[in-house]
Amino acid sequence: MSQFTRRDFIKAIAAAYPAAVLTIPSAHAASKARVVVVGGGYGGATAARYLKMMSPTLDVTLVEKNKTYTSCPLSNEVISGYGNIKDLEIGYGGLSKRGINVVIDEVTAIDPAKKTVALKGGKSLSYDALVVSPGISFNYAGVQGYTKELAETDLPHAYKAGPQTLVLKKQLEAMPDGGTFIITVPKGPFRCPPGPYERASQVASYLKEHGKTKSKVVILDANDSFSKKGLFEQAWKMHYPDTIKWVSGANDGNVVRIDPKTKTAYTTFGEHKADVLNVIPPHHAGAIAGATGLTNDKGWCSVDMLTMESAVHKDIWVVGDSCVHGELPVYAAPKSAHMASTQAKVAAGAIIAKLNGQPAPEPFFVNTCYSIAAPDWGFSVVHIYRAEAGKLVYVKDAGGISPIETPALAVQRKLEARYAEGWLRNIMADAFA
Amino acid sequence: MGAFQRGLLAASLMAGLLGSAQAEDKTEALAITCNNCHGVDGVSVGPSMPSIGGLPESYLKNILLEWKAGTRYSATMGRLVKGYSDEQIADLAVYFSKKPWVPAAQKTDPKLVALGKKVTARCAGCHGETGNAGDGETPNLNGQWAEYLELEALKYRDDAVAMPNRQMRKAAQKLSEEEVKAVAEFYASQNK
Repeated sequence: MSQFTRRDFIKAIAAAYPAAVLTIPSAHAASKARVVVVGGGYGGATAARYLKMMSPTLDVTLVEKNKTYTSCPLSNEVISGYGNIKDLEIGYGGLSKRGINVVIDEVTAIDPAKKTVALKGGKSLSYDALVVSPGISFNYAGVQGYTKELAETDLPHAYKAGPQTLVLKKQLEAMPDGGTFIITVPKGPFRCPPGPYERASQVASYLKEHGKTKSKVVILDANDSFSKKGLFEQAWKMHYPDTIKWVSGANDGNVVRIDPKTKTAYTTFGEHKADVLNVIPPHHAGAIAGATGLTNDKGWCSVDMLTMESAVHKDIWVVGDSCVHGELPVYAAPKSAHMASTQAKVAAGAIIAKLNGQPAPEPFFVNTCYSIAAPDWGFSVVHIYRAEAGKLVYVKDAGGISPIETPALAVQRKLEARYAEGWLRNIMADAFA
Repeated sequence: MGAFQRGLLAASLMAGLLGSAQAEDKTEALAITCNNCHGVDGVSVGPSMPSIGGLPESYLKNILLEWKAGTRYSATMGRLVKGYSDEQIADLAVYFSKKPWVPAAQKTDPKLVALGKKVTARCAGCHGETGNAGDGETPNLNGQWAEYLELEALKYRDDAVAMPNRQMRKAAQKLSEEEVKAVAEFYASQNK
């Protein structure tokens, strides 16, 4: 990683942002409505910030459980030692300074009829508009033998960055040469579609760098294909030949049960013994979304594609990993930080328009998702969605994955590996500064 | 007239009165999709990502259209700009060119800066002595991120990728790797 520390980042933000105030359209100025945002990840933080920036007189409250947020993007790089978790942590001081009420508490209930939000601390907040951005909750029962307690102790999923990321890193470091690192992947949709495969790459990168060349990485997958597959497989072949093995669902890759004591993963017909067993359990919309009745029968929140307003309850907007946005399976928006951010901005515009009795502005959604497969070896996928005749359309002429074969391959991959890091600094600042 | 119709009437009256404000809003709704990578108002806080706020309108428009047409190499931007119409691109170029140029706060190495000052003497004709040409066409380099400048030089130095400016290509290929670093550090240090 480049020599750009957390302190440099804070300095850069301080230098960049005093001047950063969006021009305020006069039509937006009158509202003193109350907007509550549930969840302070990329989706919620971005929504809070843009609501306040677009309409400074709005009363915006952000409710978040934790004092510090840890970015999931670039957290696989912490496992390998390529990055530092400190660079992924950020607090809510920037949002407070903007005049957003940041409440560190847990939401226990949402009443869509009374338009209130109950907090564990005992308070109740009323809202005119509510943004729900709770991320994901894990369905531990989806893998027999796996539990929340195991995830927080010996068998971290590390699919929410934080303490579990560091436990998994330690387990990798302690793994003897010749050991097997198993990653299990649930049936999609899941958050960060290329995440498990980037993680496998980062683990292999660590093994290569530390001369543990007899070790293997096995991906046991419930699915038959994956995001940026060609790009990952090319990288694996070039950088870690014969280290990473991907077992598809069709090849009996679907893990149904584990034995935590022996670290064995069981598929329908087979068993795989691991030295490090990294179970990524199936997940669905954050629990509060389900408890509020915002979810469909698959556990995800359906929304109006153009505004992000819930298809179930009026005056509630759902953004980020918890919603299903776009046509499944091919043209649905991926569950990425960038998508959460772009959805949050669209929701902010739609909320302000609705509060002012105006039609929602025309939405435009952009997603850029980088993966780093080896040092200076990165690639991306780009998605663009826009409105056409009142419908959300995936723009097929644009977007797509990085070229697999290109005359200046090393330059292409180096640029995107570095862009991933610059992207992270900017998207974090865009949400939290 | 019901509440709904009254609302519609009010909305359409507002739309008429606020036509130009709405056009600005529309560009703003597009421009905020750039913030994730390039910072709010085009002020980047990520060293590999260029600041774009305050760059000349013609430069921004040309480079975006060249990426869209495929006549200029990019690692990522080409796939993005294909999703924007030429009109949207023109609006975005105007929008970001009107933002102030904010040099990035960054540490630089005095030795490399000194070498860079010497090496860039030959660049001054186009880029100005400090990288601030001020001719309304040449992009600001003063206080641009050093890492970005170095990465950009990679493109000019590799003949396998399409870069339209032959003069830049020749100049960049004459430099040693240390000189490339020095040039980037020199321009980055011009951030006062």
